[in-house]
Amino acid sequence: MSVVLGIETSCDETAAAVVDDRWRVHSSVVESSIDQHHHFGGVVPELAGRAHVTTIVPVVRAALESAGLDVGHPAIDAVAVTAGPGLIGSLLVGLAAAKAYALSWDVPLLTVNHLEGHLFAPLLETPDLAWPVLTLLVSGGHTMLVYQRGPGVHEVIGETIDDAAGEAYDKVARWLGLGYPGGPPIDRLAGAGDASSLVLPVSMTGEDLDFSFSGLKSAVVRAGEKRPDLAHADIAAAFQRAAVEQLTRKLRRALERYDVAGVAIAGGVAANSALRAAVIDLATEFGVVAHVPSLAMCTDNAAMIAAAGLSHLTRGSLGRLDASADPNWSLADVS
Amino acid sequence: MGVVRALAIETATTACSIALLDGNRREARLLAADRRHVEVLAPGIAALLEDFALRAGDLERIVVDRGPGLFTGLRVGLATAFALADATGAGLVGVTSLELLAHGAHEAGVRGRLMAVVDGRRGEVFTQRFELADEVTAESEPAVERPRDVVIAWATNGAAVTFCGDGVARYERDFAAVPNGTLHPLSVPPTLAALDLAGREPGPVAPLYLREADAVANFVTRDAR
Repeated sequence: MSVVLGIETSCDETAAAVVDDRWRVHSSVVESSIDQHHHFGGVVPELAGRAHVTTIVPVVRAALESAGLDVGHPAIDAVAVTAGPGLIGSLLVGLAAAKAYALSWDVPLLTVNHLEGHLFAPLLETPDLAWPVLTLLVSGGHTMLVYQRGPGVHEVIGETIDDAAGEAYDKVARWLGLGYPGGPPIDRLAGAGDASSLVLPVSMTGEDLDFSFSGLKSAVVRAGEKRPDLAHADIAAAFQRAAVEQLTRKLRRALERYDVAGVAIAGGVAANSALRAAVIDLATEFGVVAHVPSLAMCTDNAAMIAAAGLSHLTRGSLGRLDASADPNWSLADVS
Repeated sequence: MGVVRALAIETATTACSIALLDGNRREARLLAADRRHVEVLAPGIAALLEDFALRAGDLERIVVDRGPGLFTGLRVGLATAFALADATGAGLVGVTSLELLAHGAHEAGVRGRLMAVVDGRRGEVFTQRFELADEVTAESEPAVERPRDVVIAWATNGAAVTFCGDGVARYERDFAAVPNGTLHPLSVPPTLAALDLAGREPGPVAPLYLREADAVANFVTRDAR
């Protein structure tokens, strides 16, 4: 049995986890510096970098200890670490620490793409899941549709041509004065609003599988300025309905074209209640399994990085100690 | 002080350098001069340990430059040192880039007043004043200053002083204008000097930034990802 320590520091979460090749999570520890960024309306890279450097070792140690491993001689086979995409100053801290641990324990380093990590999240909750799977990967920085034949075998079949879905949530939340990150407060507010009080355009109704969210955000702002009488809850509800409608419309189109056993959502926006409900409905309609991960597995964590690392290890795709971080590493470039 | 095997890590400037001590044998290596800290540091440590026929677990002390200097470089060095110390049980000793420059200058024979000057970017330098006699004594706290203000202060008080550090190299014309000033070529905080300080009491090490992150107000939202 192979066991891997995963390390993730691509944005504001410092995370470490221990996972084995039967996709069992032995431990998963996540520390976030999000409270420090809240009033800036976004993640301040320098603050995130400073937080990572002070928390990385305590977080790794906590993950090892709660997995019952000795930090001096842990029974692990490799150290997997996120090498991109993400904030460069944040990525560097995790990568440097991962290399030092790998060097100290004399085990291989595995460099993992953060987005590939997200694709492994459903596997950690359903280890015997049936392939292929269509995954809607939605976060603050990414929105894409991925066709997965098996663990680590994937193809990007659609993605946003401008803003990410989560970015649209953050921008609308900022405009409504709801703080950062925008997803949870909009989701909560939308529950109390009437989505029909404002008609917003659902972008990208064409035949392709790509997304666009910048127009939706602008439409919300325009409509809100034209009708100052509108309640914030109604605006949030209308925005959420239009955003989820676009996502599910493209997912439906992909389900019509690809013969799959399951459909999954991953990334921070996968924590959105309306999207989760819509994806479950869609899966029921198409007679496929819905993989809707727990909230902890939707947001950034290191268990998914360790899992992706395990698939690299199985294939013999080892990282190198001279690896650098790539803030713009595309999932399409991951074989 | 009894420390036999120690590793020194220095990443506070655009350069990345390390040094290893094993009994009477010591060796310093410049791994890169162009900000590739994360690429060269771990392989450099692995190669140096191998040349000494040592393993990471043999290390008793890890001496790391905790700043001030290049923020991203510092964090690569600190994260590496923290993780190495955690995994091997080696004691961690934090030193500053400014005191390394002072000790390096002392080793090179400089005596009298010394200003250690590290490039702080954005038109500023990190400075500290030392008196070099039989021993190295700090005469001020680490500070952030404009190079011009440092130059004016020393030009007006007229005292003899030696300047060293990459901040001097960056603002060479300014520092050359100090009448009683001498520019010393020492630019990168020397790792051999760090090994000399390996006998200090080990303990928790915190980065020395000398500048609030709030000053970096050009925050980005998650769309930068």
